[in-house]
Amino acid sequence: MDHQIYILVVEDELEVMDALVNDLEQFEKFFPVESANSAEEARNVVNEIYNAGNEVGLILCDHVMPGQNGVDFLIELEKYLDQHSAKKVLVTGQAGLEDTIQAINNAHLDYYIAKPWTKELLEDVVIAQLTNFVMQRHYNPMQFMMILDSVRLSEYMRTNHITDH
Amino acid sequence: MKLNRKQLIGLIIGLIGLIIPFFLSIEGLSYAGHVALGIFFLAAAFWMLEPFPIYATSVLVIFLQILLLSKQGFLFQEDSAAYIPDAYTAFIGTLASPIIILFLGGFVLADAAVKYNLDRNLTRILLSPFGSKPGSILLGLMVVTALLSAFMSNTATTAMMMTVILPIMARIGKTDPLRIGLALSIPFAANIGGITTPIGTPPNAVVLGALSNQGINIPFGEWMILATPLVVIALLFAWILLLKMFKPEASSIEIDMSGKFNTSQNAIILYVAFGLTVLFWVTESLHGIKSAIIALIPVVFLTLTGVVTKEDIRKLPWEVLWLVAGGISLGISMKSTGLAEWIVGSIEWNSFGTISLLIVFAAVAVLMSNFLSNTVTATLLIPLAVSLATSGIAGEGFNLVIVSLVIGVSASLAMMLPISTPPNAIAMSTGTIKTSNMAKAGISIGLFGIVLVVIYALFYWPIILN
Amino acid sequence: MAKGFKNRKEILQFIKQAIVESNDLQKLLTTFKKGDVLFKQGDPISHLYLLIEGTVNLSHRRDDGSNLELITLSPGHFVGLVAFTTGNNSVTTCITAENTIALCFKQDEFDQYLTANPKLQVPVQQLMLSNMSDRFLKNVQLESKMNALNKQLEDEGVQLKEAFEQLENSHQKMVAQEKMATLGELVAGFAHEVNNPAAALLRSSEMLKDNFMDSENATAKTEIFKLGLVSKPLSSSDIRSRMLTIQKEYPWVKERSVVRKLAQMPEEALKIINKKKKKIPVETLVQQFEAGKFIHNIQVASERIANLVKSLKSYSRQDRNVSDMIDIRDGINDTILILSNRLKYLNLELDLLDIPQTCGKMGELNQVWTNILVNACDVLPHGGSLKIRTRSEGDYKILVEISDNGPGIPETVLPKIFEPNFTTKNQGAKFGLGLGLAISNEIVRQHGGFIKVSNNENGGASFQIILPVKEC
Repeated sequence: MDHQIYILVVEDELEVMDALVNDLEQFEKFFPVESANSAEEARNVVNEIYNAGNEVGLILCDHVMPGQNGVDFLIELEKYLDQHSAKKVLVTGQAGLEDTIQAINNAHLDYYIAKPWTKELLEDVVIAQLTNFVMQRHYNPMQFMMILDSVRLSEYMRTNHITDH
Repeated sequence: MKLNRKQLIGLIIGLIGLIIPFFLSIEGLSYAGHVALGIFFLAAAFWMLEPFPIYATSVLVIFLQILLLSKQGFLFQEDSAAYIPDAYTAFIGTLASPIIILFLGGFVLADAAVKYNLDRNLTRILLSPFGSKPGSILLGLMVVTALLSAFMSNTATTAMMMTVILPIMARIGKTDPLRIGLALSIPFAANIGGITTPIGTPPNAVVLGALSNQGINIPFGEWMILATPLVVIALLFAWILLLKMFKPEASSIEIDMSGKFNTSQNAIILYVAFGLTVLFWVTESLHGIKSAIIALIPVVFLTLTGVVTKEDIRKLPWEVLWLVAGGISLGISMKSTGLAEWIVGSIEWNSFGTISLLIVFAAVAVLMSNFLSNTVTATLLIPLAVSLATSGIAGEGFNLVIVSLVIGVSASLAMMLPISTPPNAIAMSTGTIKTSNMAKAGISIGLFGIVLVVIYALFYWPIILN
Repeated sequence: MAKGFKNRKEILQFIKQAIVESNDLQKLLTTFKKGDVLFKQGDPISHLYLLIEGTVNLSHRRDDGSNLELITLSPGHFVGLVAFTTGNNSVTTCITAENTIALCFKQDEFDQYLTANPKLQVPVQQLMLSNMSDRFLKNVQLESKMNALNKQLEDEGVQLKEAFEQLENSHQKMVAQEKMATLGELVAGFAHEVNNPAAALLRSSEMLKDNFMDSENATAKTEIFKLGLVSKPLSSSDIRSRMLTIQKEYPWVKERSVVRKLAQMPEEALKIINKKKKKIPVETLVQQFEAGKFIHNIQVASERIANLVKSLKSYSRQDRNVSDMIDIRDGINDTILILSNRLKYLNLELDLLDIPQTCGKMGELNQVWTNILVNACDVLPHGGSLKIRTRSEGDYKILVEISDNGPGIPETVLPKIFEPNFTTKNQGAKFGLGLGLAISNEIVRQHGGFIKVSNNENGGASFQIILPVKEC
């Protein structure tokens, strides 16, 4: 299979996870969606993805979960994810100010979505973050023009010397 | 490296094609010619089916020519009656031939223009007089695109214009045909606009390179005189075609471009350098300084002043230069081994009239470049034209320059498919057009283009050239 | 009194006699009218006065300008004695209170007078001494009086402080109860309002379900819809492994999102899809299944809302703040439901044995359970356990026991735990959800019961609430 860019959803409540994954349906053609119910499971999924030669483009992570919570998980994986430019978004209703500050400072959080989310906001955030990802990793932007931010991708093409032949 | 089926076939055919001539004995073709034929087959297969990037194939071509055809190669270390081997420097030298330097100058200027937002700012200013009616905005967009792509790469121009029209398209109704018209207008105008100047697009370089091999030099300004009227008419045709095919429903469009001209010292230096260079290019016939030499002006001044830094230099599209060099190089050996002459000699040209010849060349060029890279099309076809002319087979009135122009211009008029040119691909990737839209419009322009080119070849160009 | 004279009166008598007999002394007699100023505070005094008749007032002006009446001197007293002996300026102002006659000795000539009239020496001496000792005595008396006054003030101060604190407490309690009453009204109002749309949701989802089941004659679609109705969400690892299986068994399904949906469908549903794959597109059947699933979700959610509303209403029971015969267990269950979010990660063990009804105010008692449970949630980690038990103690008492396996309550804290302002955590926004153990205690006591707090043997705290069984 070709090199894939994954979206990972980490959420312990099954109904909420279902809803999130459903909202991501339109992206699935370009960015396969994986899910995990705990930080530990998520860690395994991330490893599997990279071991198979693919990449994690975006993580949508809940905070309050049994076992390790979302912020701690993101902090733990921070170095690894930053190396690979994976984008990290917290989707939660229950991270206090302290935890959020931790996430921003120590996990380099890219965005925070408060629950309940609207589909529009989620889509906007996913598009913006994955556009950043795709540009930072120097993927050919043309394949994503239809699903991601086409204006920014065009600008990227303009300044990154895409050429005639 | 994983090759898909098409690439695998290309690789196999190319390798077979390289080897087969060694086992054949074709009448009328020198041994060197056989070798050149093998290289030609390999080049054609690799360029068409792309098992490797086309610029890589170009360098491979140069390399094979050095190995197999040059004086320093394995096969021909001595002059012979059949073939006087070129020094290897002839092949390597293509990498820095005047036409390459000319393009290098153009790249540096274009790169700096993007870096200092000259392209965006010019667009903003030039678009403003076109008002807000869809028809005139469309024309405005196409004119500006063509103007920019005459000096910058068609693809970069297209990418930049996309950032201008995508917001507009988002505001128009989803079923408004204007969306399709807008999306198609940019790549069409970019492709057409590239014809205007020698540096507008790489196929032009192949034309000039081949002609200069024959000792024919067309000054910058003269090329523009030859090309511009054709460009204007083709552009107008495309504009009217798009308006008719995709009649706008919206009554007015607003273009929202903010920004202002960069007035930093570096930017001013750029504006001056740009202006001077273009001025000197255009007046080449008056002062006689070769355009390649003039092309060094921006290279020297912009690098001296730090307007263009070494990071910028690194990011120049060197692979395009190599691509063109490979094409020019192939032309050299096709001529000096007599291969081109032999190819040409195998066809009964007498039965063709001049007109039909021109039509055929134009049509083949348009057709081929719809499926192949424009540069590759020019590279493969122009040596034939050259041979036709030099061998005299095609008879009097067969002007090398005109035929070369026909092929070179036609190679830029291929816009049927997303794969035809990168600008087409970009437009397609936005998801706003169906392939059938592009095909119908592209075919119309292609056909019109063929007619236009032939008419020019018969009536206008001869006047200018004589 | 010194030798010779019994008291001041005798000395005065003697001196008066001496005056009559001495021209010099008579010359020193001065008569003052009422209101005359003999000397002013701060002035040097040139004379020493011995009052023969009449009285004078001594006063002292304080720094803030107010006048302090010091003493009234009567005949037989010296005036200006301190200035005479120390030579300092006067610290008092002397004004006659009535017509007065005094012997005015010039200070520097005083000795001469005495020498000239030797029989005056002793009486004058004694008079001076008695003046001095009078004044000293007076001082002592004043000191003692002041001390007593101070002590009295202190005591009053303490009493005042206590009274103020009590007032504060009552005030706070009143405010809190008023707040509770308002909140209760809000909650009751909210519950009533939400009830209608909740009911509408429930009814509509039922009817929608019936619609779907009827409208499709095609059994495949109806069958798969029914399967969707009872579907349950799978964990992500289950989905992942199922997706691999589906990809192998259904290679003709290209869209990953469709593969995922198939992975969450039961075998029977997949069989239907397989059977009908030539006639009905996969996406259509998947949509039907999902329709069932969504309708089921809507129903479940609507029921949950309806239950929450019901519990909220009965939890607050503020529409009638009167006592009623209640089964306390209902309130406990309501409370648990309302706190379910906080209790999510705990092991909750319920052992609610039968108890008789008793008279009480459910809303108030619910406050008590809420307070204790929320406190437990605050100290328990994920997976901590919480036990709630109810049982009868004899015929007349009900026991409610809430115990946890948390850190327990420190011994030092235990006795103070019901005190009004006592807290081991920030005040924060605890409003409305348990207004403190003090209030809980109050509520239970008003019901005729009491709360006992203790630490368990094997860790954790235990609250035992005893309530009497009684009629309303």
